[in-house]
This record gives sequence, C-alpha cells and structure tokens, in this order.
Amino acid sequence: MSRLSARARDRLITALLAILTVSWLLAVEGRQGFGRDEGQYFRAGERYWGWFEELGENLAAGHPGLSFKPASLDRYWNDNAPDHPVVAKVLYGLSWRAFHHCTCTGPARGLHPIPIRGKHRTLPLFRRDSTAFRFPAMLFAALLVGMVYRFSRRFVSWPAAAAGAVLTLAQPHYFFHAQIACFDAPITTMAFAVGFAYWKALRSPKWGVLTGVVFGIALGTKHNAWLMPIFLTGHYLWMRRGDLLGRWFGQAARRRVPRVPLAFVAMILLGPPIFFAHWPWLWQAPLARARTYVKRHLEHEHYNFEYLGRNWNAPVTEASLKPLRMTAPFVETLFTVPVTTLALSLAGAVVLMRRRRGEPMGPDAEPEAPLAPEVDWRRPGADVDRAPGAFLAVQIFGPLCVIALPATPIFGGVKHFLPAMPYIAVAAAIGLDALARAVAAAVTRERLRRAAPVAFAALVCVPAVVETRRSHPDGLSHYNLLAGGFAGGASLGMNRQFWGYAVLPMLPWVNDSPNHGGMYWHDVISDALAMYKREGRLALDAGDTGYAQPGIERSQMGILFYEKHWTVYEGWIWDDYGTTRPVFVRDREGVPIVTAYERPPR
Amino acid sequence: MDTPLEAPALVPPARPRVSKAALVAAAAIAVLAVVEASVALVAPSRAPKDADWEAAAQAVRAGFAPGDLIVAAPAWADPIMRVHLGDLVAVEMAARFDDARFGRVWEIGQRGAHAPEARGTVALEQRFGALTLRRVERPAAKIAYDFQANWTNARVVRAAQGRPDVPCPWSGDRFQCPDIGFNFVHLQTVEVDFTLHRALLVQPVGGAEVVVEYAEVPLGRELVIATGIHDVWARKAGTGAVETRVTIAGTPAAAITTRNESGWQVTRVDTSKYDGRTVPVRFVVTSPAPFQRQFALAAEARR
Repeated sequence: MSRLSARARDRLITALLAILTVSWLLAVEGRQGFGRDEGQYFRAGERYWGWFEELGENLAAGHPGLSFKPASLDRYWNDNAPDHPVVAKVLYGLSWRAFHHCTCTGPARGLHPIPIRGKHRTLPLFRRDSTAFRFPAMLFAALLVGMVYRFSRRFVSWPAAAAGAVLTLAQPHYFFHAQIACFDAPITTMAFAVGFAYWKALRSPKWGVLTGVVFGIALGTKHNAWLMPIFLTGHYLWMRRGDLLGRWFGQAARRRVPRVPLAFVAMILLGPPIFFAHWPWLWQAPLARARTYVKRHLEHEHYNFEYLGRNWNAPVTEASLKPLRMTAPFVETLFTVPVTTLALSLAGAVVLMRRRRGEPMGPDAEPEAPLAPEVDWRRPGADVDRAPGAFLAVQIFGPLCVIALPATPIFGGVKHFLPAMPYIAVAAAIGLDALARAVAAAVTRERLRRAAPVAFAALVCVPAVVETRRSHPDGLSHYNLLAGGFAGGASLGMNRQFWGYAVLPMLPWVNDSPNHGGMYWHDVISDALAMYKREGRLALDAGDTGYAQPGIERSQMGILFYEKHWTVYEGWIWDDYGTTRPVFVRDREGVPIVTAYERPPR
Repeated sequence: MDTPLEAPALVPPARPRVSKAALVAAAAIAVLAVVEASVALVAPSRAPKDADWEAAAQAVRAGFAPGDLIVAAPAWADPIMRVHLGDLVAVEMAARFDDARFGRVWEIGQRGAHAPEARGTVALEQRFGALTLRRVERPAAKIAYDFQANWTNARVVRAAQGRPDVPCPWSGDRFQCPDIGFNFVHLQTVEVDFTLHRALLVQPVGGAEVVVEYAEVPLGRELVIATGIHDVWARKAGTGAVETRVTIAGTPAAAITTRNESGWQVTRVDTSKYDGRTVPVRFVVTSPAPFQRQFALAAEARR
C-alpha cells in the first residue's frame, strides 16, 4: 500500500471492496428465498425484456414504430404499474436475458411470463435464473460500498473509510435486501449517490449538473427519491444559515435569502424529464399516470407489522399509542444495526459536534475552511463550512423521521429507512478514525503506531461481519446484541419476517411429500412458486390450493409463516386438519420461522 | 467550469493528541466488539436442540394425566413444543378459554422464561439441556357447565322488535338463521387479539338481536364470560361495538360492550344465589354497526 499514491490506493481499495461485496452476496444469495415483492419483480423484469425483444424484431422488420403503439407499450409495461418505476426492474430483466443458463425450452417453458420462442443464446454466468435477475441489485450494493469508501475518505483515513464501507454491507437487514431483486438496496445506493453528488456539487459546478442526472435515475428507482430534496434543502439552509442570520464566522454580513444552488436547479430541470423518459408506461398519459403513481404511494394501504408486541395495521388514532408508534424506526435501528457500529457512529456524532466551524475533521480530511470569498450559486459551499455534521444528521434522521410520522405505514420495517444506514456507517467511520488516532498516538513504537488504525478498523468490523453471517438467510428475523438476537427479538415482539421469503428451506419437504399436489402455500406468491419450479427447486407438479381459509380447506399439507397477524390462519389449520401438531417447524436458534402441517389420514 | 479552488485555511487543522477520554472510548468499543462477536458466535449453540425437546417430551409423557395443561415459555416456542407433544395438546387445550380449569401445568421453558399459566407450587423441576421442565400444581376451577362443549343444546333465534322471533335451525355444522348468510352461530377456533380460543362465532346483524339461549344450565358460584372480535381483518375493516346482554333465569345479569381493542375480554358474574340450581341463561348480541363484527362468545359456569 505504501508504494502506491493515495489516489491509486483509494482506487484499488474501492475496487477491492466492490469485488468483495459482489463475491459475498453471490456466494450466499442462493440460500435466500423469494418474497412476494421479488416474485413480482422477476415477472415484470422478464416481461419488460419482452418489449425490448419485440422492439428488436420490429426493428429488423423495418417498422420499429409498432413497439411504441399504446397497445404494445401497455402489453409489457402495465406489469407492476403504477406501483414502481422501472430502472431496477429493467436491469433485472436485461441481466436475466444476458446471463441465465437457458433451460427455457424444457418442462418449465410455460412458467415464463412471456412466450419462449427458442433456446436463448446467453453468457451463462449463473446457474439459476434468480441469480441472473438479482445480479444488478448486487452491483448496486457494490456501488454503494465503493461510494461510502470514497465519501468517507473525504473525512477520514483509508482504514477508517474502508471499515465504514464494510459496516455498510455488514448489517443483517441491509445485507438481506442487498442480494434480492427488489428496490430497497438500489434506492439506498441511489439516495447515497444523490447525497454524494450534492456534496460534491457544493464546490463543483460539474457535479451541480450531475446531481440532477443522478436524481432523475433515483426517481426511476423508487419513490423514496421524492424525499431527497427535502433532506438536502434542510442541510442547505443550515449550511447557509449565515445568509439568513446576516452573520458569517462571527462577523456581520449582508442578510439575504440563500440562492437556489445549481444542484437544485438541475434536480428540478433534469429529474422529472429523466423520470418520464425512462418509464414507457407513462408515455401515453404522462400526467394522469404520474398522478396515479403518486396517489398509489400517498394512499398506500397499511399492511400488518409487529412492533414491540403489537400488531400495527392502521394509522394510529389512540393518543396513548402515538408516541410508541413514533419510536418504531429509532428502536428498530437500535435493535438491528450491529451494536459496535452504533457505538462508533455515536463516537462519530461526538466528533462532529465538537468540531469547530471551518476546521477539518482530521489530518486526512479535506478542508472545510472557505475556499472562495463570495457566494456563487454554482458552488454554494465554497465560501462556507459545508456543515458535514448537519449533512449526516439530515441523511440519517430524515428517513427515520418520515417513517416515525403516525400516518406513515411501517409494514416494511428497516427496509423503509435503509437510506439512513450508509450514513450511519460514515458516522461510524468518523468515530473510528478519531478513536484510532487516539490509540495510535498512545502507542510509542513506530511500527505498532502505523498498524494500530488498521488493526482497530479490522477489529470493529468483526462483530458486524459475524452477526451478518449469523443472520443469513433470515436477516429479517435477526436482532442485535441489545435485543438479544433471534430469541430476544421474538421475546420483545419484534417483526420476525414478511412476504414469505423464508420458505426456501421447506421445499425439500414439499418435494418429498406424496401429497404436494394439495399444498397450501400461505404467503408465498405464485410468481415465486413459478421461479422455484423453473430452477428445479420445486417439483413441477407441486400444487397451490389458493389463499386463506378456502385454500386451507382444499389442502392436504400446508405451511404457516410466523407473523402476529397470521395467527388466525393457524386456527383455521387446527380446525380443518383436526390437529395442533405440526410435522415440523423451521426455526432459527429455537425461534419458529415457518411451521409445516399435514392433514392426518382420516 | 469546474475550476479547482485553493484553500486558504482559516483555522489550522487539528493535531492528534492523546486524549484519555478517547482512549477509554476506544477501549470500550474494542471490548464491545469482542463481546458482540463472541455472543454472535456462541448464541446459536445455546438454543435448545431436538434432543433436549425429545427428552423433555418423554418426561412429560411419563407423568401426563388427562386435564393437565402443557405450555412453552416463552410462548413463541409453543409450535416447537407441539411438534413433540402435539398429540397431547388438543385444540381445546391450545385454544383454551383460560388456564383456570387446569390443576397441573407442565411448563417447558428456555432462557429463564416462565409462562403466565405456570402459577402455583412447583412440584417438579428438571433440566434437559437448554430446556427446563417444571410441573406446577394449584387448585383448579371446577367447571359446572361448559357452554362451548354444550353449544349444540342451545337455541338460536333472531329477534326484531315488533316481529316474531325467527328461529335459526341447526344446519350441518351450525345454527343458520334464514335469509342472511353470515347470520349463524358456530363453534370454532377464533383469533382474538392474536391469541386463539375456542368460542361461538355470533355475528350481529343490523336492526335485530341474535339470541343464544341455553335452557338448562347448572350454575355454580360464578359465570365467566369471554368476548372479543375475531379475525385481524375484521378488526381492521370494522369499528363498531358489540353489545352482549346476559340474563340468568330471566333476570338481567350483565351488559358487556366489546370493541376491537377489548381483546379477549373476561367478565365475571357472581352467581352465588343460583349455586346448585339449573336455570336458563340467555345471551343477546347486538351491534349498532355490525359490519365485519365477527363476534366471539365463550362462557363457563364455575363452582
């Protein structure tokens, strides 16, 4: 390392972190089942690919315009609309088309959402279709880890920045989402990318323009992007509070309203056009359909979610419960992020609060002192301290506070405020750097002094990595040392899982049973079942008796996922099967995750 | 456009100093990291193993007698307990009214947890690996009449003011009132406040009363009535209260209001003056807003 220039070293470390991220995720994703959401995104991604396939055929036939006719657009792009825009799903579909190992003309041919006209020519990197779908999500995670390193390097030494990057990935709940073909990890990456671009834009006009482009891509990834301008505005006003107060660095100045910076102008001018351009479903009626999309999320149903022993499935109306409900994102963070990471981020917060304005974060940090004498809307952070503490605060507490509002649904748990997590890791890197410097300063031997920050950084990553490894593939069920692990989370009445991900280890039992034609799948969606069958993990003749009580009544065997609101389903099984005895329970450290029942012979 | 700017440092960069507080914080975090990693590595091996459950189950089987209750502690371990002992846990035991009628409770606990049902004198305590088996004994409530066990003896009618009562005859597995599909009385396992119980499902109807009458009930000193709104989806969709009027031998004995948030609401009626007598008991169920009111009703007469 010492022979490399700082820039080359940073590039090398960034690349290594990204490669390790993808490697880790690829190594373990096969043990991770498909949830309700992911099953739909597999289907939608493949269907979107179908449009590109048809476009290619129409191009070859000399009439590409056919692909842009309303009926043709809607045939493909109606899928999963108006729920979510399509950046991630298109990438999933393209990745599947490019990298799957094609057995498409085999017995599972009819399980594809688009007609299979023949064997696909592909670069068969992945044995399973689902891995090919998931690969872009892992690349998003790698991009995030790399960006966290690069962003942290603006404040701290390379060992602390590398640790911050590792602590970003090594969070059980983030890790769970980072390997699946959904949007929560990608939007976390894009939220960080928008924040990073904005940060650079404070002193660089080029990044002012690029912030608008990155924001447009974020808008196409998930609706969390709507909130980003609010958080950035909060930071911007704080950073430029001297304009409002008429006082800068202790000296009187002209009182004025802060100029709208180039980054915000670019976000307004570039964000919406990129959003509209990327989503063919919008093209026919841009405003009407965009309104439908916005309403879909502003009026989203409150699904069921367990938090501190209560089931929450509606806006809280009881005054006595409102404070408890508002604690959800904070307590969930406290109980899910590795405790050492939290402690380091607390140390980082102390460092940030103690920093004097204009002072760099440390010897390895870039300057915070003003670089220019006058304000310039193209680089509005050049004449002021950029307030990194406030920036991290809005990025961490912004997403948490939105979820804390009593009217906001909490059914997704941690995934709904994942964009806060990389910033918690950055704060941890800042805390780690300060503590590592103190340790190094206390060491007298030169070689040890140089090794101390690296050793300390490695040590604090160990619990996070071990916890993350322990949690897999049940990251949603995992709780940290403070909560008491899987068992502690269950005892505290914290949500154990959602959307049927945990079924995968049950499939051998289903396959082996002669009764699997009469299988009741509870919360596993048919798209997920189709994918398990396509991959040969589920018998092609495994049945699906449908949902709820009628599905149970038609079944010969069935499963039940443990979530508080599913209790009623277990009662139906007891009544209909005439037994309370499961044939087995899939558990983690003694905590039931999925229970299997078989109808006793009459 | 993107001209690099030179930095005239207004404040000199901070110099590293040996801070005692920082050293203490660093040491604390190092210790925390070691503890957290160690616990994460060790915790999986501390969970009860199949062999522990099997051994505990064998011990229960050796001493189990009809009328005993088997519970797991914490309650979330209950499904694993039922894998090993489910043949002894009938639906009536698992979805019990409450634990009063059980004089002996077998508790299979882990991690130091105890079940609320396991109150009384500890008559036996044994360790099986990570599990602790306890048998707790206490005086059991004597049941004079179980309304659920005798539900087919009830008479069900729909009554509206100014009109003759509409009888709801037995139909297959329920008392079905005419004309309104959901207007029936049926014994089933209900979910109230995310706990399962055996109870009569008595859905109220608009503009009428649903009457469930037991003509001959041998009463004891206490009539215990449990009510609740069944099914999480019904509690989400509907908000109306359900009123239950209880009359004993034609005399009003209780009026119970049940709402979504009432949970498994237990009401105790002193029946000392009827102790040893056989009298009619009548439950009249109404609701001003009966939409999605899947009302659960259970009762026991206790000596």
